[in-house]
Amino acid sequence: MTERTRWNIARVLLTTTYLLGGWLLFTWSFEPGSVLLGLVHAIAIALLTYPIFIEEYEAARRSHLPRVELLGIYLLVLVFNMYVASFRVLWQILRGRINPGVTHFRTRLRTDIARVVLTSSITLTPGTITLQLDDDHLIVHWLDARTRHSKYASKLIAGPYERLLRRIWA
Amino acid sequence: MTWVALFFLGLGAVFSLMGNIGVLVFPDIYTRLQASSTCSTTSIFSVFVACMILSGFTPITGKILVITLFFFITNPISAHIIARYAWQSEIVPWRRTYEQRRMLGAETDD
Repeated sequence: MTERTRWNIARVLLTTTYLLGGWLLFTWSFEPGSVLLGLVHAIAIALLTYPIFIEEYEAARRSHLPRVELLGIYLLVLVFNMYVASFRVLWQILRGRINPGVTHFRTRLRTDIARVVLTSSITLTPGTITLQLDDDHLIVHWLDARTRHSKYASKLIAGPYERLLRRIWA
Repeated sequence: MTWVALFFLGLGAVFSLMGNIGVLVFPDIYTRLQASSTCSTTSIFSVFVACMILSGFTPITGKILVITLFFFITNPISAHIIARYAWQSEIVPWRRTYEQRRMLGAETDD
């Protein structure tokens, strides 16, 4: 069995796992008939569509196998930051004392999916929106421009996310 | 349990209201987008949490969880697309004047 074949089998299995997980979440029942139906269809769909979902080379392996326990912590951090920033924006709307600004900075994340997740998290956090993402260069609009120093701004905006994401997707 | 759900529903209502006020008050597209996307995310997430608490450990909870995850993926992408389009069509973001920024105590080096 060559490396190529082994990776192809892994691709099919990964797609099947994701599809079956989605099926179980939607049906929420563990009756044998239901699970069997889901499994058969998951395998069939995985065999048809695995080249679309999972990349051809094994170098992309890390981006499909995140560390799930850290991902859970990441979601908690995200929700917590969302509420904190939300109250801050609420206060700014009430007082009308906003000081918006645009800042540029670079991220140290390597994989594409980690960068996309970072961009989405910044946009999801109230008070900051990503305007553009070029490779590792982010342009962010924020409502409360506390600094014009690029490195300090990246620490304020992306700091807590970046540290976790580097460990999740490497 | 019902009271926790009511608390989250109240948070959702407050954030939604303030988001709409922000859209009316703020000066340009970027800041308005901040207000609307903010408040939609936090208020809708609060409402989802309240729904999950109310429904308990049932199939509905799993479905709401999936909807929440889907929302976490799609909402920032739509906000990002609007902001990116505005940025690429070279709409200049609104800023305070230099004197006003000095008064607010923000760091100004340009």
